[in-house]
Amino acid sequence: MSIEEMGGMGAPADTSHAWHDESYAPVFVGARRTQLDALLTRYPTRMAALLPALWMVQEDRGWVSSEGIEEVATVLDLTPAYVKGVVTFYTMYHQHPVGRHFIQVCTTSPCAVCGAEAVRDAFLRHTGCEELGVTSPDGKYTVVEVECLGACGFATPVMINSDFLESVTPEKVPDILSGLK
Amino acid sequence: MGYPHTPHDRETLVLSRHFGEAEARSLEGWKKRGGYSALEKALHMDPAEIVNIVKESGLRGRGGAGFPTGVKWSFMKLGDGKPHYLICNADESEPGTFKDREIMRWTPHALVEGCAIAAYAIGAETCYIYIRGEFTEPLLYMEQALTEAYAAGLLGTNAMGSGKTVNVYVHKGAGAYICGEETAMMNSLEGRRGNPRIKPPFPAVAGVFAQPTTINNVETLAAVPHILNHGAAWYQAFGRADNPKSKGTKLFSVCGNVQRPGVYEVAMGFPFKDFLYDLCGGPLPGRRFRAIIPGGISVPIQTVDEAEASIMDYEGFVEQGTMLGSGGVIVIDDAQNLVKQIARATRFFAHESCAQCTQCREGTGWTARILERIVAGEGTPEDLETLLDIGWNMTGTTICVLSDSCAVPVSSGIHKFRADFEALIKHKTVHVIPVVA
Amino acid sequence: MDEKMVNLTIEGRTATVPEGTSILEAAKTVGILIPHYCYHPSLSIAGNCRMCQVQVEKQRKLMPACATAVADGQVVHVYAEDALRARQGVLEHLLINHPLDCPICDKSGECELQDYTYQEGRAEGRLREPKRFNPTEDFGGDVLYVTNRCILCTRCVRFMAEKAQDPVLNISERGDRAVIGKVPGHDLTDPWAGNVIYLCPVGALLSKDALNKVRSWEMDRTPSICPGCSQGCNIVLETRDNTVVRLQPRPNHDVNEFFMCDEGRLGYRWMNRQDRVEYPMVRRGDGLATAEWEAATAEAASLLSGRRAFVLASPNLSNEALFMLSRIAKKTGGAGAFRVRQGPEAPLPGAHDLALRVDRAANGDGAALMGLARDDAPLARMQDGDVLIVADEDLAGVDAADAARAGAIIVIGTTLPAWARHAAAVVLPITNFAEEEGTFTNLRGRVQRFRQAKSGPGFTRSSWLAAADLLTALGEPAEYLRAQDVFDALATANPEFAGMSYATLGLRGALVASAASAGAVA
Repeated sequence: MSIEEMGGMGAPADTSHAWHDESYAPVFVGARRTQLDALLTRYPTRMAALLPALWMVQEDRGWVSSEGIEEVATVLDLTPAYVKGVVTFYTMYHQHPVGRHFIQVCTTSPCAVCGAEAVRDAFLRHTGCEELGVTSPDGKYTVVEVECLGACGFATPVMINSDFLESVTPEKVPDILSGLK
Repeated sequence: MGYPHTPHDRETLVLSRHFGEAEARSLEGWKKRGGYSALEKALHMDPAEIVNIVKESGLRGRGGAGFPTGVKWSFMKLGDGKPHYLICNADESEPGTFKDREIMRWTPHALVEGCAIAAYAIGAETCYIYIRGEFTEPLLYMEQALTEAYAAGLLGTNAMGSGKTVNVYVHKGAGAYICGEETAMMNSLEGRRGNPRIKPPFPAVAGVFAQPTTINNVETLAAVPHILNHGAAWYQAFGRADNPKSKGTKLFSVCGNVQRPGVYEVAMGFPFKDFLYDLCGGPLPGRRFRAIIPGGISVPIQTVDEAEASIMDYEGFVEQGTMLGSGGVIVIDDAQNLVKQIARATRFFAHESCAQCTQCREGTGWTARILERIVAGEGTPEDLETLLDIGWNMTGTTICVLSDSCAVPVSSGIHKFRADFEALIKHKTVHVIPVVA
Repeated sequence: MDEKMVNLTIEGRTATVPEGTSILEAAKTVGILIPHYCYHPSLSIAGNCRMCQVQVEKQRKLMPACATAVADGQVVHVYAEDALRARQGVLEHLLINHPLDCPICDKSGECELQDYTYQEGRAEGRLREPKRFNPTEDFGGDVLYVTNRCILCTRCVRFMAEKAQDPVLNISERGDRAVIGKVPGHDLTDPWAGNVIYLCPVGALLSKDALNKVRSWEMDRTPSICPGCSQGCNIVLETRDNTVVRLQPRPNHDVNEFFMCDEGRLGYRWMNRQDRVEYPMVRRGDGLATAEWEAATAEAASLLSGRRAFVLASPNLSNEALFMLSRIAKKTGGAGAFRVRQGPEAPLPGAHDLALRVDRAANGDGAALMGLARDDAPLARMQDGDVLIVADEDLAGVDAADAARAGAIIVIGTTLPAWARHAAAVVLPITNFAEEEGTFTNLRGRVQRFRQAKSGPGFTRSSWLAAADLLTALGEPAEYLRAQDVFDALATANPEFAGMSYATLGLRGALVASAASAGAVA
């Protein structure tokens, strides 16, 4: 298997590419704003709230769009470029829209020796995604490989949105998928 | 195999005693099990006294580096007028390691208590528990525990009525292995890219927010209440009599091709052979162990002979050419294409390199590509020398040790399993028996 | 200041440097340049390129020279076997994803990746895998980012964050996918952003203005001073085939650290103007006729005979030229004035006292020190019947009727404005700033030299020489052979310049007396 097949390590990173969310509505209003302000009291700097703020944007809007980056930058007195640099560092922030069910299959060595690749392939097949990182035509699923979920003894761990599944085998995949709303 | 995990007779249950007991998660359940007695005691002690007890106990960092915890704490200059910080490293991301996850899932209050004691001991009013973003379940339990602890007045500006301020907050990571490195974690907490920092300055001088900071692993902090409750001598008693450097108990997480994977707690100095065959049940039916990585994927691979001769403590593993590391035991059996697994390990590091240092940024990816080529049957005999040379360049030459870690499985793999590589290069393919489902 | 000094040995040479100095800087003091990329003396230490690794005795590992402070008795081996091997490794790693397209790269010939590879690198690389590819990107302003050539030293990111304090650049992504990133709509439009081109050690950040214009080895380089404003940034004026093709900043800690602004950097095209006046001319009826220099100068002198001279001078003329012109005014009992074009100030916030200044002229302060009056109504002080000497001033916006009050007009200039064709009595053609040498006085009173970078067209003469010859013709011998001689005379005549000479000005310049004493008090 080539690196590309394993997830495209050599894929070009085009940072000029803007992912826009035309219908973006500000996140930090009302209760969210109150929540952020409360959070800010925990840290001596505003910047320290950057990761939590980005989480809030992702929770509310599903992904971190250019507009989301601009809003976070404004709220925390940072520049959009700075925020973008941070967003692209952390793999859990979605830089573009993903399927309703975001499926992360751990395929790092400890899981790989237990057959994680077959689990990954089963998800790709049964969701109709066929390709890693590509959202299924019905917009329901996106399947990605993830590096070590930290549950190696329960191979293969899979995360679907924020649900953490353990000991997933290829045989269990159809049932798991049919259980998703 | 998940929990409930039936403890083996030869385990020494200290931290893991209440794993699997759902009731232990609640404050009430935890108090029933003796919880927060150590914190109450600690808040009425002189911080220096606590540091001394921890020093005497011989507790060493359980995250991988094994630095004596009490000594680390003593670097924090009390009364220097600066805000001090404690960070609990719950970014458990080292492949093969999943012990901290169990502590947080089953005994979240143990960690809260440990954090509070440590914060008080180093003069910190604020402790951040940095939990990796993927740990949604531990995160939930930790937040619940903290809510309970605050509501009960155990934390806050008047912790347990002592008049002392101890704040503990959860900070959620967002997907970056390198944030488990302490200086990267400080950057991440500050809202930066998780780039490791050049040392000096050391964290105890200028850490997070440029203030004196101590970073301790979850398991380390969870051990602290036990030490305060039972005394340094009690903790010292665990371990080989002839090795004063490794004391206490240690959680080992076992994964890979083994009968009973899971989290085991043994006293330092336990024979690794017994551990693998007796506690973990040995290889899968019809299989043999091929290679063992005892301390997370960053430590050198052992041959089965080396593993079976190892004693499970910091020095014992070093004697057998590897390290205790985080205690994440990865077992690889004879059904695996070892070269492919090593290639997979390097891809992990290539994915996780923060991109600062040249050798790491470029070398991890290059190493992975060469190995992928070898696995694909396109290897050449010169590739092995090139890999070793790249490995030399990636070792000891960068800001942090991620690049060293990437070189480790490759260099140790080539040294110990050279025939596997050569066969693959020569015959273009490898015949391994498929894993029986 | 009593700094504690530290002694150490670097490659057998003894260095004595203040405590806290890095090994890299200490090595410079004994003539050893330790190869490096991410380190730049004006920026924070990143320590990421790992190129400056050296062996330090008693240290287990190789040490990054940029991030390791000197210690007493330290023994440093820059060319130890392991250090060389490690640096060779860094170079190979930097090159594995580098396109090696030096033949079409603007940076070729002045590229640090090229230089150190020739110096210490492997003869050939061992990469057999395909290289990573990323598209080239327009960063806005004058900057083009050729992603594939980037070695991610982060000098540009740090410059924008620390010096320009306009963090529009970042490192995006991780591992070998990392690139310098920016956000659409937030371009490199900061007035100082172009410095990232100069700071880039490789061909990743290029000037769109200079793109594909010239190979670095074809250029002649002349130390000079930016004429764009009163800051007086030190620059290198680069020419090919007698044409100015590029300006680059030249370090001077007392003035501009390592930088220059984009307005200054890109404001060089006028130096190559082709519509120059190339020969002296005198009025013959309705037209101007060419003349010998001596005849034209004599005619100018005769016009001035018995009349006051009123000098309207450009504040971009050198101290030398302005000194001569002021003496003409004085000799005839006349006066002089100048005016200064202005624009918005644009500071570089992370630097000390560095800005694109409001006064968009290099030598307004020099003109004032020569006794010329600064006046937005430049002819207000001219008395009716004065001979108006227009020295490199275009008279733009000056009322024709006002100018007509002059008894005669003598033009000493590089070009011939339209009005001069019917109004000038004598035209003396001079070389422009790039074609002569001299000194400017900046807004802090620093006198700095600039050198001749190219030759002037036709019969043009240096501005100071044209003025000096006129002064001589007026009966006050000023037979100077070199600009230096004029400056020496200035130093004798004007207490502000007392004690100065071209030799003492050197590359960093010196403060005029009043500025020096003000500085000493402060």
